[in-house]
Amino acid sequence: MDSMIKVEGLTKRYAGVTALHDVSFTVKRGEIVGFLGPNGAGKSTTMRILTGFIPASAGRVEVAGMDVFEDSLAVRRHIGYMPENNPLYEDMRVIEYLRFRARLKDVRRAERKERIDDCMEMTGITDVRRRVIGQLSKGYRQRVGLADALLSDPDLLILDEPTIGLDPVQIRQVRQLIKDLGKRHTILISTHILPEVEMTCNRVLIIHRGKILASDAPENLMKTLSAGAPVVVEVRAPVDAATVVVQALPGVVSVTAEAGSDGFVRLVAHASGEADVREAIYRAVVAERWDLRELSRGRTSLEDVFVQVTRDEDEAEEDRRDQRQRLR
Amino acid sequence: MRNVPTLLRRELGAYFASILGYIVLMFFLIVMGVTFAVVVEYLNRGPTQLTAMKIMFQMFWLPSLVVIPMITMRLFAEEKRAGTVEMLMTAPVTEAEVVTAKWLGAFVLYTLMWGLTGFYVLILQKFSGGAALDLGPILAGYVGVLLIGQFLIAIGLLTSSLTKNQVAAALMSFAATFLLLIVVNWLGFIFQGGVAGEIVRSISAFEHMEDFSRGLVDVRPLVLYISGTALVLFVTMRIVESRKWR
Repeated sequence: MDSMIKVEGLTKRYAGVTALHDVSFTVKRGEIVGFLGPNGAGKSTTMRILTGFIPASAGRVEVAGMDVFEDSLAVRRHIGYMPENNPLYEDMRVIEYLRFRARLKDVRRAERKERIDDCMEMTGITDVRRRVIGQLSKGYRQRVGLADALLSDPDLLILDEPTIGLDPVQIRQVRQLIKDLGKRHTILISTHILPEVEMTCNRVLIIHRGKILASDAPENLMKTLSAGAPVVVEVRAPVDAATVVVQALPGVVSVTAEAGSDGFVRLVAHASGEADVREAIYRAVVAERWDLRELSRGRTSLEDVFVQVTRDEDEAEEDRRDQRQRLR
Repeated sequence: MRNVPTLLRRELGAYFASILGYIVLMFFLIVMGVTFAVVVEYLNRGPTQLTAMKIMFQMFWLPSLVVIPMITMRLFAEEKRAGTVEMLMTAPVTEAEVVTAKWLGAFVLYTLMWGLTGFYVLILQKFSGGAALDLGPILAGYVGVLLIGQFLIAIGLLTSSLTKNQVAAALMSFAATFLLLIVVNWLGFIFQGGVAGEIVRSISAFEHMEDFSRGLVDVRPLVLYISGTALVLFVTMRIVESRKWR
């Protein structure tokens, strides 16, 4: 059995609102999957259903091969969950809180102390163990939540916005921690911060308006979209000659040129399909004995992917709405 | 139910980790202390049929009206407001365990409060001039106070599960307690005799306490309050679960 999470046809309706619309995806054992979407896309709702906090309106959800609604208690034993905003009992001391949670999660008495110490060590909160949670900084509280999620050494970690509200140093620490944890646990993290996914995840699920729009490795998503990205060339050459030479290369669809004041020309070449025309351009420039100052292809970031994918969906949605209105 | 001890320990800790437990305890001890002083002063004025503890037990409604809403208002409302209910309910615990532990936690605190009035019994014993106190009615009185208290605590827990707002929870439980104790007692003056009068008498906590403080432990109020609590706790459990079908 190599799928940790299996979601099929998951739909969640709240009074009057459909938060999730026929969502299906799987997460394999050992994967770190990033759940990416704007606020209100359905990330937290999905996570709450996975952890058994709320049920689905329709569809099947399995964690570690068990139905989350039928075997809710058993499923919860396999999951370490850190909810959005990381709610904690603020009146408790860190160590008291972790002891309480360890008991609730059936960590064996003999292993409890060691396990708690390990989790505090991993998340770097050993030195605040005696402090009251309500008095801790946001970064420490976040790490207490993370330590709590790790207590039962769960197969699956579900972390809802684990780096929200942290400063850049803390964010880096938490991301590193997640990466390290990924060696032993299956992890599903949600975020609306794109670099986070690029840095930590093997796979990205883009969710928008309750639908999964894309699911792939971050590199692949970027590759697919950067295929059509324009190539930028700067050469010392007459504008017309440069345009003609580049335009003539196979695969190049269009070229725009702009003469600089220092004798260099800046060309932007669009290629067709997945063709990479950089090598051809280089050879042409060398053959013409022009000076070359820059040759690069715009790299699409996940941010662009995200914006593009969600915009396509929004446009499709608008079209549908227009059509419906026209029909009326 | 195996998680109940763990949850119960957390609930009791929460009362004394915040200032709330101390405030409630202080309020209770002041009210009961002043009442006790007044009762002793009254009894010193001349011979009477009443005993000090009997009067104390019949004053049970006074702390109940304030203290029970105070100790129950935060139980679920605060968890919902702070979002910790999500942490709690995604751990491998059942709704029944959580509801039981919360009810038990408030009941233990309530029992502790009334337990402190045991000092009054000691004081009375010390100054009774060698005569032994009649312990039967005193024990029966405590049974009555705890019996009615555990039921009112269940109602407080129910109102707390209805809202995220502690003040609203406290007001609802105050209103419910007021209806069940005071208004039912008033109805007793209107409906005297007849079936209506009989019904009012049999659900009136004042009537029950009258019996208990005389040393009479009747099975009917026992059944009434215990089954009442079971019903209210069951409803509370369904309300906590209701996030799943709303």
